[in-house]
Amino acid sequence: MKGETKPMRVVCAMSGGVDSSVAAALLLDQGHEVIGMTMRLYDAPDEARGRAAAQAGRGGSCCSPAEIDRAKDVCAALGIPHYTVDERRRFAAAVIDDFAREYAGGRTPNPCVRCNEHVKFGPLLARARALGAQALATGHYARTDGGILRRGVDPSKDQSYFLFAMGEEALANVMMPLGTWSKDRVRERARELGLVNADAPDSQELCFVAGGSHADVVERRAAALGLDLDPLAPGTIVDRGGEVLGEHGGIHRVTVGQRRGLRIAGNAPRYVLRVLPESRQVVVGDADELAVAAIEIGDLRRLAPLPEGGELRAEVQIRHRSPATPASVRIVGDVALARFAAPVRAVAPGQAAVIYVGEQVVAGGWIAASEEAPA
Amino acid sequence: MCYSVPVIYLDHNATTPIDPRVRARIIEVLEDPRLQGNPSSVHAWGQRARAVVERARRSVARALGAEPLEVTFTSGGTEADNLALMGAARSLRARGEACGILTSPLEHPAVLAAAKALAAEGGAVAFVAVDPRGRITPEAVTEALRERPEIGLVSLAAANHELGNAYDIPALVAAARAVRPEILFHTDAVQAVGKIAVDFRAWDVDLLSLSGHKLYGPKGVGALLHRRHLRLEPLLRGGHQERGRRPGTEGTPQIAGLGLAVDLAVAELELRSAHVRGLQRRLRRGLEQIAGLRLYGDPEVSTGNTVSVGVPECEGQLVLINLDLAGIMVSTGSACTAGTLEPSPAILALGCSEEEGRSVLRVSLGKDSQEADVDALLAALPGAIARVRAEA
Repeated sequence: MKGETKPMRVVCAMSGGVDSSVAAALLLDQGHEVIGMTMRLYDAPDEARGRAAAQAGRGGSCCSPAEIDRAKDVCAALGIPHYTVDERRRFAAAVIDDFAREYAGGRTPNPCVRCNEHVKFGPLLARARALGAQALATGHYARTDGGILRRGVDPSKDQSYFLFAMGEEALANVMMPLGTWSKDRVRERARELGLVNADAPDSQELCFVAGGSHADVVERRAAALGLDLDPLAPGTIVDRGGEVLGEHGGIHRVTVGQRRGLRIAGNAPRYVLRVLPESRQVVVGDADELAVAAIEIGDLRRLAPLPEGGELRAEVQIRHRSPATPASVRIVGDVALARFAAPVRAVAPGQAAVIYVGEQVVAGGWIAASEEAPA
Repeated sequence: MCYSVPVIYLDHNATTPIDPRVRARIIEVLEDPRLQGNPSSVHAWGQRARAVVERARRSVARALGAEPLEVTFTSGGTEADNLALMGAARSLRARGEACGILTSPLEHPAVLAAAKALAAEGGAVAFVAVDPRGRITPEAVTEALRERPEIGLVSLAAANHELGNAYDIPALVAAARAVRPEILFHTDAVQAVGKIAVDFRAWDVDLLSLSGHKLYGPKGVGALLHRRHLRLEPLLRGGHQERGRRPGTEGTPQIAGLGLAVDLAVAELELRSAHVRGLQRRLRRGLEQIAGLRLYGDPEVSTGNTVSVGVPECEGQLVLINLDLAGIMVSTGSACTAGTLEPSPAILALGCSEEEGRSVLRVSLGKDSQEADVDALLAALPGAIARVRAEA
């Protein structure tokens, strides 16, 4: 959002974690009237385990019932109101069902991007406005000031990659006060404030599979949705010549670029090159064969004006926590073709590809196809 | 809270602020060193503490038309309901008698969950029919009991916590006894005592629950009235307190507070009732002026303090939050279910959709509510609804 500092009513999305807690505290320091809000997103796979983890001082996963309690504790300590809103149905439809469909289709989904697009920045912003708030705030490590989305200044925490689909309207109305902060400084501030979650570890796993296996979630949801379950059955691992090298437990258990966990003979390291849902085949090959020269990015979302048809010199990031690679990007409608200056490895269809110009996110979409780099 | 706005409390069915006279009585008991003994102790301090407990017991009994021996103190309404259902049904079962439960889908979760637990033990549970306004007729009770010899206990609330309906318990008891003279009848009067006239003997019920904090008394204390010789399997195991029905050292200060709160509630019943009824009329009239609202419950026979109002195509929770941010506190249903974000079970029991169940706000007035409180709510509501609708 624009660099406003005038005191206003702000709804702060609180996950129960240290980041959004400190974000709320910073907004208070800036003189805003802050309202804490936590979304109930799913019924925890094992609430008892989540609670036990929280009591043992380890964080539960984002927005779990134990973390909702923690967000309440933090808001009480900060002296601000806290409310919980029910988004279980929306989250199940937009995030968990999509997760199952994508894996069943041989792609690698990114549920965090989906959640940001369909749950966090649409409905939650609407709710914030319904409460008379002028802005929504989150604890993301990214910068939204000036109406543009930029990387957070802490390179180890930058979350801009997950935010490209938030939409320009949300971008204009969302504050991310941690964008200029480092995680260390956030923890330090949390300790100064005496927040209960100051030293809780960062959550690394997907909230709705916390403690469980993502393959189980895929199988359960796919069955509940009445999807064709054939692609989830065990299949063969083959080389590029079609020779069978082994078996796998289902294509949803395999991701492009994966090396570990493949039960195949031979000494040379083999990597997953492709997943073929129709034949349930997983094609493996050498590390060199993972190299990709260009990708097609579909369902493109813009966060800045882009040249239509022309070439854009940009950087494209195809994974969280991997550097963006310089690329020449041509945009036609809602498709972008990115040709990398140097080949990138392990490009998983379905994953998000985000286009940066310098620090700024200008667009992003989902990897639809890739072109192998010549050997 | 960091925002400074006037505070208007309109959630008296969730809990009531303590009456200053009750608070003074509790503090008096807490501060008197001679009242700190264990009421079961033989010595002087024990005897003094015992006297406090028994005085409260007499107050509760006298105020509600029961004998002191018919009063068992509990930790609150939930325990009283659980003791009534589980204690009576298990005792019937142990004697080989019919021990099934007949209740209604509008009951408080304390009753419904206890019935569910008994069903898990193999007991029968049946539900009486309710009409779209949440009314229960004697004929419906007759109908539900006919050809159901497995039912040994009927449990129907004297007043509904979400709709504010008051029920003609004597008529429902008569209907039940006409089918089965020996049947036991429990009424959850947690929302009734202090709002309508309650008379254990005249109503001819066997069991009656009440709670301290719903009638300007302390939290953490309630009582179950039961016929003198009624057998109740205790929920807790321990000492002989409360004649073995409820072991555990009596909470002397809270029990003293409950005794006075019940006394005051009954002594001031007409005054309080006339006051809230006047406010309720004002509130209903005002709500009728706001287009598109839906009022639930039976205004003809009600506790006079509760208005259950639906805001179609609106998430009630968001209207509630808007009001809270303006310093006006209401509820989206029973506080016992509000935290779970589920739609109001009572509204669902009336045959409404889940979406409609999520659209309902409950406003419950109290003895200290003012016309200005009602007016403030009526003034704030259209803006809150408009804001929520604009983003729906």
